[in-house]
Amino acid sequence: MSVAIVNYGMGNLRSVQNAFAALGERGEIVDDPQAIAASKRVVLPGVGSFARAMENIRRRKLDAAIREAVDAGGALLGICLGMQLLASEGDEDGPSAGLDLVPGRVVRMQPSEGIKIPHIGFNALSSRGGHGGLFDGLEADSDFYFLHSFRFVARDATSVIGTSDYGGEFVCAIRHRNVVGVQFHPEKSQSNGLKLLRNFLDRF
Amino acid sequence: MVKDRLIFTLLYGDGVFNLSRNFSLQRVGDLGWVRENYEFNSIARSIDELVVLDVSRDERRIDNLAGQVEQLAQSCFMPIAAGGGIRTVDDAHRLFRAGADKVVLNTALFSDTALVAELSRTFGAQSIVASIDFRLEADGVRRVFAANGGKDTGMTLEAALGHVDSLDIGEVFLTSINNDGTGNGFDLDALRIGAGHCRVPIIASGGAGNYVHLMEALQVEGIKAASTANLFNFMGNGIQEARELMRQSGVPLCMWVESQ
Repeated sequence: MSVAIVNYGMGNLRSVQNAFAALGERGEIVDDPQAIAASKRVVLPGVGSFARAMENIRRRKLDAAIREAVDAGGALLGICLGMQLLASEGDEDGPSAGLDLVPGRVVRMQPSEGIKIPHIGFNALSSRGGHGGLFDGLEADSDFYFLHSFRFVARDATSVIGTSDYGGEFVCAIRHRNVVGVQFHPEKSQSNGLKLLRNFLDRF
Repeated sequence: MVKDRLIFTLLYGDGVFNLSRNFSLQRVGDLGWVRENYEFNSIARSIDELVVLDVSRDERRIDNLAGQVEQLAQSCFMPIAAGGGIRTVDDAHRLFRAGADKVVLNTALFSDTALVAELSRTFGAQSIVASIDFRLEADGVRRVFAANGGKDTGMTLEAALGHVDSLDIGEVFLTSINNDGTGNGFDLDALRIGAGHCRVPIIASGGAGNYVHLMEALQVEGIKAASTANLFNFMGNGIQEARELMRQSGVPLCMWVESQ
């Protein structure tokens, strides 16, 4: 089964590709809208700013392609910035529209006593129901690697499938039907992350 | 909350991986050798982060280091920091493209702070690791050296920590040259000084010989990351066992599901 890893000029795509290779699956780094639209499994990675990422995606006409893949029943996994881009809008570098696949807004995290931003390191995921099998085989409070300064605020509570705690609870995993997003980096989260990627392939 | 980190550091130099004692290198072998004879894959499954440093005494070439990082990234699914010989933004780009998540700077911290600032602007401060090597001298003063411990920066440890903390960096990798490779434990006083002088996280390095040493470092107030480069003492499932013993003793380390 091949996985389309969306290339919009930002983020370390190779590490995602390496993780799928370790699972015996072929991840293809693609920037061709037609190839993405026709894919059954799409991964949207990303590191960088929300506004710039959306600008790149629109310029390359990848927003329509991603939507087409999802509308045709394909599964989509957003990772880190890729998860945030699923939102309706984001605040980073000025307000801008997102892909609007999971209703919500992406806002800056606030530092406080002992809480530095970015949130960086391994932290525990508290999963909720409705994850569609994404967290199957993972123990409660499984740790994943995070690196981010913004967080997803879901408009619809039922789309929240996982939270984490960093100076307060925040949303770290979302799902709307065949679209899922995780704020952490499964490709940098040892066997926990590989298990999650396996589940994405097997359950979605 | 964020867990403590157990880190392994691979020392690449002059074409092979090395063991180091007081910054004197002993050749081990290439990546294949390290995988086979030290069961590096098992080590890699039991660490929160991997650091790869080019400590070549001959000429350092960033492409050689990038090649090693690229190979390692194919089977290492944790954050990777790489450095040694970074002189330009393009050097850093090569390491990131090869699969590094962070870059480690040493000599440039003291000789080219403009490069540090530019790297930070380009990649974000959180992806810049400042590596400080110090030696505790007979007069009781800890002095900081650059260029693989070969060049006196003229700074005390306290001054160097203050200096790098004023730069836009994400964390400090603090290595005791005296304790390096001895397996006798960390310089805990230096870690206390480090935690007291820096806003950014400190990674303890130099001296770990067993899990008790790693725990001692993490018990220092403000220290949440400890590294070992001791392939010999922690080969095979040594790191995994250390992790488990530390967890049982209450160190907040994360747990991963059994690999399939």
